[in-house]
Amino acid sequence: MILNVNGSKHEVEAGMRTLLEVLRDDLGLVGTKEGCGVGMCGACTVLVDGKPISGCLTLAQQVAGNEILTVEGLEKDGKLHPIQQAFIDEGAFQCAYCTPGFILATAALLNENPSPGEDEIREYLSGNLCRCGSYQNIIKAVKTASEKARQDV
Amino acid sequence: MIKFLEPTDFSEATSLLDQYAEEAKVIAGGTSVVMMLQQKLIAPSVLISLGRVSNFDFIRHEKDGLHIGALTKLRDLELSEVVKKFCPALAHTFSVVANIRVRNQATIGGNLSAADYAADPPAMLTALDARAQVQGPNEKREIPLSEFFLGFYTTALEPNEILTEVIIPALPSSARAAYHKYTSISAEGRPCVAVGAFADFDPDGKCLDLRIAVGAAVETPQRLMEAEAMAHGHALTDELIAAIAEQYAQALDPLTDVRGSAWYRREMIRVFVKRALQEVRDDR
Amino acid sequence: MIGESVPMLDSVARVTGAVDYMINLRLPNMLFGKIVRSQAPHAKLLKVDHTNALQVPGVVAILTGEDLGANAFYGVAVKDQGVVAVDRVRYVGEPIAAIAAESLSAAEEAALLIDIEYDELTAVFDSQAAIQAGAPALHEKSPNNIFKHAKLRHGDLDAAFAAADEIFEDTFTSPVAQQASLEPHVSAAQWDGEHLTLWTASQAPFMVRKTLSEILGIAPEAVRVIVPPLGGGYGGKGHIRIEPLVAAMARKTKGRPVKFVLSRAEEFVTVTKHAASITLKTGVKRDGTFTARQVTIYWNGGAYADASPMLVPAGMVRSVGPYRIPAVSVDSYGIYTNLPPAGAYRGAMSSQTTWAYESQMDIIAHKMGWDPLEFRMKNLFVSGEHFATGEELHDVHFVECLEASAKGLGASPSPLTPPPGGEGKRGRGYGVMMKSTVATSKSQARLKLMVDGTVMLYTSTVEMGQGGHTTMAQITAETLGVPLSAIKVIGPDTAITPFDSTTSASRSTSMMGNAVIAACGSMKKKLFELGAPLLETPPDQLRTENGFIVADETSISFGDILKRNNLNELDEAGEYSTSLGLDPETGQGVATPHWHQGAGAAEVEVDPETGRITILRYSAAAFAGRVVNPRMAQLQNDGNVIFGLGPTLMEEILFDGGQPTNPNLADYAIPSIRDIPNELISICIESDKGEMHGIGEMTLPSVAPAIANAIEDAIGVRIKDLPITAEKILQALREKAEK
Repeated sequence: MILNVNGSKHEVEAGMRTLLEVLRDDLGLVGTKEGCGVGMCGACTVLVDGKPISGCLTLAQQVAGNEILTVEGLEKDGKLHPIQQAFIDEGAFQCAYCTPGFILATAALLNENPSPGEDEIREYLSGNLCRCGSYQNIIKAVKTASEKARQDV
Repeated sequence: MIKFLEPTDFSEATSLLDQYAEEAKVIAGGTSVVMMLQQKLIAPSVLISLGRVSNFDFIRHEKDGLHIGALTKLRDLELSEVVKKFCPALAHTFSVVANIRVRNQATIGGNLSAADYAADPPAMLTALDARAQVQGPNEKREIPLSEFFLGFYTTALEPNEILTEVIIPALPSSARAAYHKYTSISAEGRPCVAVGAFADFDPDGKCLDLRIAVGAAVETPQRLMEAEAMAHGHALTDELIAAIAEQYAQALDPLTDVRGSAWYRREMIRVFVKRALQEVRDDR
Repeated sequence: MIGESVPMLDSVARVTGAVDYMINLRLPNMLFGKIVRSQAPHAKLLKVDHTNALQVPGVVAILTGEDLGANAFYGVAVKDQGVVAVDRVRYVGEPIAAIAAESLSAAEEAALLIDIEYDELTAVFDSQAAIQAGAPALHEKSPNNIFKHAKLRHGDLDAAFAAADEIFEDTFTSPVAQQASLEPHVSAAQWDGEHLTLWTASQAPFMVRKTLSEILGIAPEAVRVIVPPLGGGYGGKGHIRIEPLVAAMARKTKGRPVKFVLSRAEEFVTVTKHAASITLKTGVKRDGTFTARQVTIYWNGGAYADASPMLVPAGMVRSVGPYRIPAVSVDSYGIYTNLPPAGAYRGAMSSQTTWAYESQMDIIAHKMGWDPLEFRMKNLFVSGEHFATGEELHDVHFVECLEASAKGLGASPSPLTPPPGGEGKRGRGYGVMMKSTVATSKSQARLKLMVDGTVMLYTSTVEMGQGGHTTMAQITAETLGVPLSAIKVIGPDTAITPFDSTTSASRSTSMMGNAVIAACGSMKKKLFELGAPLLETPPDQLRTENGFIVADETSISFGDILKRNNLNELDEAGEYSTSLGLDPETGQGVATPHWHQGAGAAEVEVDPETGRITILRYSAAAFAGRVVNPRMAQLQNDGNVIFGLGPTLMEEILFDGGQPTNPNLADYAIPSIRDIPNELISICIESDKGEMHGIGEMTLPSVAPAIANAIEDAIGVRIKDLPITAEKILQALREKAEK
């Protein structure tokens, strides 16, 4: 089957493997990770047609033909995505195991709602867990990214 | 190797289901089925995916009520202006299911068919008197949601039937609804108790119709007709609300799990039936 | 450089998903490992037959107890734990066999075919039940299941109680919980003849090396332990975990590497947080002072001693509290039960003990009619006073921590829409923590200056998100006088980075920091010696700046100094160690090089109909000494409070016959972004002249008692058993109403 990931098409033999497994094992896209296996933690967040889904609860075969975006697809020409830069500027991570998931969820959020309030940010990101407890700085990073995006327009 | 079949319509899907019987499992969004596969709780040799079935992802407000295609995603239902206008409490119900990733994947048909006791939509839809349209290889039929959930993870679907549409009867403009999801541990947790309430009032504020479904506390969403009947023809005073809530608390036999003991659930049934009733009364 | 909030050195990798966590490790010819685990909590192993499992296509080797020789048992203090179970299993989940196969699915298939026969023995799960006569003894050497008894005796306890006006006796409990890092335990091993390379997500590479060398019968230098950045540790990756099993498995695969990745469910049977029952008997006088405290702690160590022989005495000193108490006696018991082994946990032992002593402070204050804040202020230690170990306290700022936390709450409650259904009840509560770090430990660091001006810093401090490597680089940059960009941090890799005891107990900023400073000092001295003739200035008149040795009128770059001296590189090392300890009978001596201090103040609102609480505001203050990186310190403070909400309000592993019934993150909840306080204020009390020291645990232990105290302030009920659930609060409210 063909998977369309980060703008490129890849021929894979998915079998019954999850999207997470195929991304990691076949395509070497290791930024997406498993944290819980039950859709609770968001470490496996992947954008499918712009929407965040759990890579651990999706069979690769279910998303043939969809546009898949992983954290590796955010950089453009070696330049960090503004959300990635905002996470660095606000120190929005510690061990960073959860960080790609948060960044992708943020990208989807700002696409749907370019200037979310704090409550909206918490709601949207509520399904991404950070055991290190970086939530406060994550919220700051989302706000910074949204302000920057509005300035740049 | 598990076969992954992708029928393009429900007729094809149901005849495949009929053909493969216990060897097959239907997969819609996948959040339930993939988890069960990964945890080795099921071992089908065939997966019948509904991902390529077209024309069943719809939300239509028709004269007789709201028609929702079974393959509509919960997130679309949450955001739909049609749903919000039809019944804001219903849109709210979809918005509180799990997290955004689950809502982007999960379908209403999948959610109802899984009959998870700790799910949100079943209680609210039961209170709204919704009906499930189901299709088998040879016939279609309708099952009222009040008869759809039979027990833990068990529905009235025959092994070769698939849910195709959910219909919610038109709501009078004088009606109000409310959905309360109570999480006892983490805000992200499954509900300890969930209450869906629907009430219709006459211009003097007397209750014409009342339906309250309690979910997450027992195997299946529960309504108590006798308790609901107490409200007919009366204003929903605090005393009447308390009496109705008390009936629910006494009559239901709640379960114990990590989110609360049976004792605690009984207490929460009383609290949240009351709060849901107060909301339908005061939100006019 | 010190005092600057520089981003973590590998920030770009962190936001692009490029960090090379253990989970990403792929080696040529790699095999996949799967552990076969006990289904019984306590049983003799009659049969472990892997004949059928070996037939599964793709299976390369299977490890069972038969493969283990004389050194089948290991443990950092008590060698009671089998690499895999040999003739007996003592907890559900204990490894009995391990499989290495070409694919994980082959390994999983084979796992189902291992034929195990158990002869079940009576099991015991509760620590106090385990020490009763008649309880099954888990280990012959500890017939009453007590494997460690740490004692502290200070002053005349009986006389002191006799002198008290009021005596309080209360018992507080904490349940079994889990560290729950998002990254699970992952280890991989490969043998080359008698040389072993082990890659592992561990907080203690040298401890792993030592243990493996002992079990495997090879020299420590023949074991190479490599640790990439961790996806969280929190104590759960401290000491020894699956490394012995992985190394032993790899010995059977003829030189092929094998990698084991634990599932989330397996995490719950790999290491836990000690359940504890703590009884405090405390005597006070009507003038608001203490006379005596007697502490009895039953720590549930699980089935094996593991790190508990060190943690139980640590828990002893951490159980007294930061207050002036003339007579103190502590009995801290480590007890075997048929549960998974307990290990270090963030705020180790202090999480459970601070819950006890800070909760009792308010019980005492309420009964005696004292203000809880004033009662604490009156009795908190100040510098120069002596602790119950006899040691003099230096650089302690408990009063400032508490004052800062209380001030952070603000004068009036923060506004909040009352919860639906009625007025919520509001209350405030406080907690102060006094925690020791490791008494005896050593850190070494090595610097290598290259001709191009690059400075390689070799350190075995583990980067687990706390910014350990960034901190060490900042210390190097400032102390040595080089730009941060010139520094490359390397390690841990026991083949090339020097010794470090462990990355835990918030010790690294201090211990490794001082080792780095020592190494910088040696390198500067050498550079001054080499540079003096080139600059025609005596060494003592030179200084470093930005990678240059600077005299009054001239300067020369570090690199040029090497070139002009025909050197390719310059290598200098530094070391820092402490060697302290307590008398084993009396607990008198010096417990710690310095004391960690933190406080918290909580304002909560309780919904009296449901018992559910909302944390309106939480203010956490830690004494941070000289802060290296303010933003990383703020993250640690925040992170501590948020992490601490878990065991306070949500976390408990539930067992049925020794089997965890909630080993997943849906049924074992950890704090989400919607669970955090409405307002979280994080305060680092700094002191420019103070020591640099850790901050990784300071504000965590106070969370539970501060919240329990706030709840009592709000609605007059006292919860003594964690977690504080809405159900427990409602139950307590009902009981109070009935009285």
